[in-house]
This record gives sequence, C-alpha cells and structure tokens, in this order.
Amino acid sequence: MSKAGHHVWQHVPHQLRGPYQHTGADDHIYSPKLHNGTFKSQGIATFLGAPYCPPDRHAIREMGAKVCFIGVPWDQGQVVRTGTSQGAAGIREASTQYFPYMFEYDVDLLTFFNIVDCGDVPIIPGNNEKSHQYIYEYLTECLHGGAKVVLCGGDHSVPIPGARALSDFHKSGRIGYLHVDCHLDAAPDWAGNAFTNCSGPSRALDLPNCSAKNLVHMGSRNGLNPKDWHDFFVDNEVRLLPMYEVASRGVVECTKEIFTRAWDGTDGVYFSWDTDSIDSSCMPGTTAPECFGLKGREVIQLARTAGTFGADIMEVSELCPQFDVSHISIKTAVLMICHFLGSRAKTLRDLGQRLDQ
Amino acid sequence: MNPAKSYAHLFSPLGGEGGENYRAPGQLTFLRAPHVPLETAALKAHGARYAFVGVPFDEGNVGKPGSEDGPREFRIASQEYLSYWFEFGVDLNGLAVDCGDVPMPKVNPDSARERIYRAVTTVLKAGVTPIIVGGDRSISIQAARALSDHIGAGKKMGCLHFGAHLDLADSWAGEKLLSTCALARITELPNLASANVAHIGARNSMNPKDYIDLAKARDLRFYPMFEIYERGIDDVVREAVSKVWDGTDAQYLSFNFNVMDASAAPGVTATEPGGLESREMIRVADVIGERKTVSVIDVTELAPVYDVSGTTSRLAVCTVLRLMAAMARARGELVDQKIRRSDITAAQ
Repeated sequence: MSKAGHHVWQHVPHQLRGPYQHTGADDHIYSPKLHNGTFKSQGIATFLGAPYCPPDRHAIREMGAKVCFIGVPWDQGQVVRTGTSQGAAGIREASTQYFPYMFEYDVDLLTFFNIVDCGDVPIIPGNNEKSHQYIYEYLTECLHGGAKVVLCGGDHSVPIPGARALSDFHKSGRIGYLHVDCHLDAAPDWAGNAFTNCSGPSRALDLPNCSAKNLVHMGSRNGLNPKDWHDFFVDNEVRLLPMYEVASRGVVECTKEIFTRAWDGTDGVYFSWDTDSIDSSCMPGTTAPECFGLKGREVIQLARTAGTFGADIMEVSELCPQFDVSHISIKTAVLMICHFLGSRAKTLRDLGQRLDQ
Repeated sequence: MNPAKSYAHLFSPLGGEGGENYRAPGQLTFLRAPHVPLETAALKAHGARYAFVGVPFDEGNVGKPGSEDGPREFRIASQEYLSYWFEFGVDLNGLAVDCGDVPMPKVNPDSARERIYRAVTTVLKAGVTPIIVGGDRSISIQAARALSDHIGAGKKMGCLHFGAHLDLADSWAGEKLLSTCALARITELPNLASANVAHIGARNSMNPKDYIDLAKARDLRFYPMFEIYERGIDDVVREAVSKVWDGTDAQYLSFNFNVMDASAAPGVTATEPGGLESREMIRVADVIGERKTVSVIDVTELAPVYDVSGTTSRLAVCTVLRLMAAMARARGELVDQKIRRSDITAAQ
C-alpha cells in the first residue's frame, strides 16, 4: 500500500466517533463496547458499512480497494414486474444486520478486501441504451482501479453492459460468462429490443472474446422460457444445467462444473446470479418468483463453492424489496455476496496470496 | 412445419404490430385461453381438452375464510407463464379454454352445490376434462359426485387426494357436506372402491380421531408425511397412482394446497408445517403425468388474502401446467424441434 493519508482505506463508522468515541482498529468485528455500535444507529448507508469511494479508477487504486460494491437502480430494461431498482438499497439496508467477520472462513471481509461502496450508477429513466452505457463506464472504472466488482442490480439487462465492460477490460484475452437464473434469457430480441432482461446470454455470446464453451447457464425451469430461448442453447452448443439436473446431481457438483467451464482458458469471468434462481419460498422479493428453485442452504453452498473459483464481476440481480417478506430476501441476497467473498478470501489465504501486493 | 398453424406464440414477441407486451392481456383468462360459454355444445364445438371453471365458493369451510378469491388469483398468476414448456418440449396453447366462474348465490349453499354439480357435469358431457379451482375443499364432493354420475354405475372410478387433512368427518356439527367431510362423502360414491382411493400428505393434529377411525373402517390407504420423509415422494406417488389409475375408467385428482409446507404455500386457508416442498410437488406432477389423461382436476383452499408475493397461486398454477405438460409429453404431443423463430420472421 502507498503512503498514509486520508484517501487510504480506513474503516471507522461514524457512529463510533463523537462524544462516546471508540475507534480501535478492529472494533468493527467485535461486539460493541460503549453503545449499540452500528446496529440501529444509521450512518451513510453503504454495503456492510464499508467506506465510500468515488467510482474513479485513481481513487479506487489510492484507497487500495480490492472489491467495489456498486448498485444499479435500473428496472426499465425488463419485461416483467418492476421494483428491482430498489435492489441495491435493500442489500445495503440488510447488510447492516451482519458483521463483516465470518466465522465460517475466519475472515474479516472489510479489511481482507478493503471493500468500498462506490454508490449507485446514475441512470436515465426511459433510456435503456444510455443507462447501459453508464453502467459500462462505471464498471470499467472499477476494473481499471484494480478491484473485483460486486454489482447489485437492477434488472437482468444489467449483465449486457456488465459483460461488455469485462470483455473490453480483457480485450487481448478471453472471458467466461455464467448465467444462474430461473429463465434462459436467450432471446435474440424481445419485440425488436435486443437489450432487455431477456437476452443476457445471447448478448454475451456476441462478445468477440466469449466463446460458447465458456458460457454456461444453470437453474432454468418452468414456463416463462419460450422456445427460441431454449433453441439458443441447442443451436450454439452452450452447456445448460436445468434445475432438475441441479436437484438430482447436487448444487456443489453443478457449481464446480459451471465455474470450471467458465474459467477454462479464460482471463476473467462474469458471474451473473439472478435471485429468481432461488425458490419463491426463500426469495419472495424478486421480480419473477418461481417455485422449484434453489433452497436456502443451496444458495449458501453455491456461493461458497463459487468463492473457491472467483469471478471478476459478481452480479446479484432482480431483487425486489417491495415484494419481500420479513426481510428474508434481502438478507439472503447479502449472504449470497458475503459467502462468496468469505469463501474467496479463505481460498486466497489458503493459496498464500495477499491482495495488497 | 404446418403452414396452416401459427407458431409465433412459442417464441419471444417478434415486435412491430405484433410486439405486444405479454403482461398486458385483453380478457383475463386461464393461460390467455379463449373464453367459451359453459355449455356442452359450445365446448364440444371448440374441441379443447381442458376447461377451466372457477368456483368461488367459501361456505363449506370450518376455519379461515378467503378461498373464494382463489380462481381470480389463479387466473392472474397463470398470466405469468407462456405456453411452451422446454423441459417437456410441448406447447400448451390450444389445450384449454376458460369457462369463467360458476355464478354463486351467496348464503344459499344448497343451491350453490347444485350449480357446481351441474357445471362439472356440463363439461364432462362434452368429453372435456374440467380444471376446477375453488373455493373450499367441499366443492370436491359435488365435482366427484358429478364424475361418478357421468360415468355411470357400470364403470369404475379412482380418486387421488393431496392435502394435510384427511377430511373424513362423517359429520361436523351435524353438517354432512362441509370441507371436513369431503373424503367421507366421496368414498361413499357407488362406483368408487376403497382400493382405488389414495390420500397423500396427512400430518399434524387437525385430523381428529374419528378421521382415522373412519379411514380404518373403510379400509382407505393414506400416505402420511412421515411415510414420504422415509420413502421419498417418487416411490409414494407411484404406488398411489397405481391404486387410482390401474383398472379404473375415470380418475379424480384433487389438490388441496395445504399439502404444501407452510413456507412454500402461505396463501392457503389452513397452513401446516412439515408439508411438501415445491420440488416434491414438481415430481408429483411428473409422475402423474406419465398416465397421459385424467378425468377431473380440482385445486382448492387457495386463500390469496394470506398469500405472500403471489407465491402460492403461482405454485398452484405451475403444478397444474406441469401436469398438463407432462401428460402432453406422455401422449407424444411434442413440438417440432426444428421450428425456429427465424422461420416465423421469414414467413412474415
């Protein structure tokens, strides 16, 4: 890390300052000493209470951040019910109910990755094309800032600019693309629009450095999958693991397979995880809730297994807090991210890798 | 590709004048099916395999009310699905029509019961399978009686029931036609042998001792949840389906959605923990679907007022559609896999 200064990554929640100040270096991973800490007392709403960092490659580098959380309040690129523009806000809110320390991996996520919250991408109502361009540019800043990205949608059109940003970042190499979703989302276009939440995998395959062998879909089921979406996988020989295969083979084995395929000969991976891949009983707060999905414990197993492989961009999309029940969906979404990051940290530590070098 | 038939509905919308938003329906019907009047001649003329009939009847329940809103929410949830089912390679478009709801006189249950009986009889006479969505579980009594009378004394019928409760009260507070009496009345039908009855999913203590005593007296086989935990859903359903389908001429299939675990189906009149998970219900539909046909399907006790994010009505719709899809596959009604969206664009 470079010189000390106010730009250097530093975590002191504002609630720990003031008349009843306690600002020990590791205070945030222990039970609070003098008052209720960050519980209930709200500061700036950031993911896990992480420091804010402007979405600028130099600022990110200067702060030494290795993971950027960024929200996309966009739900006008989709054809189902609206509400997912509040997804990132829901995650930030629910993340205050967790500590950054995860005993399962013996890691403090905040200090291991120097996580920063880069806020939300500004979007232009009614303009999918321009909003996508902004998403592309904000992600490009994070990637060039030397960080991995946790991207919170927003509707499932978000991986279209997201994967394009990763593709251009690795323009001299190759990328993999994973789409975990109840829906196959492989429309050539939807009523003439090629950039809706129905076309993630189709647009990923259009990228110059993403080939069919590194593209995988997992979790599909039920009847909101018109025939052209399924034909895309047959015609392009793209591996598809429908939900019935996941249920019979087990989620750990299937997750290993999809990440192995995505990382086969590639330099980076885009991991797009739609919350509707999860069973409607565990994830009511999603755009298109579906039965016969992943169960709560399988969500954790998937995230944990995914963390052993890693991804350049991990995206959680279609989260709709307005349909949530007792906050179970937004808490699950936080755990999707935290188990992924926790497992990633443990994996890197076991490999003897340090991120600040 | 048959040029006389339209295939555009199998695919994402093509745009232009035909670029409709699939969530902006005209008439609100089951799976966007055409509305056909509830008349035998009209149903015969249309030639559909299934007729959706709503039964907003709530006056047979002994507990929480709310199931009369079931048909409406069921129709709304069905709009969230398209007709092509990739797991089965089949197209449900054209298989069903919607006959609307049976008009219910309020506070006149005797008259209402006769109307339910007549509605089911009307559909059966057209050679069509009614999909009856209630309404409380007592509607099954009338619908099963209609099937029994329709096939006549010389034929045999079977009954397969899913629910958390056995509903085997001979009478409840002196009444004989309430939801708690459903299976007691149905198992008195003359052409239904006890060997051809199966009940799946019983659990917990809304099954008083007289239910169990009557089950023993009538030699009824029921598969409680504990047996499903041990044997697995496939094994149990296969055995139950054999009892109901083997050697019978007609089959009555009844889903009380309280068979599901409370977490998977909060929107029912009597939620019960310890029930089926959604992926088990999906297997139920697959296994029953291997039998190709069924005479009557009923779905009861949906209570949208208690539902959460539309979860329960959607699960109920998904179950019925998967059953239709599995049966269509078993009958060999597969979509020509060579058809592509570009063929439709080219034809335009």
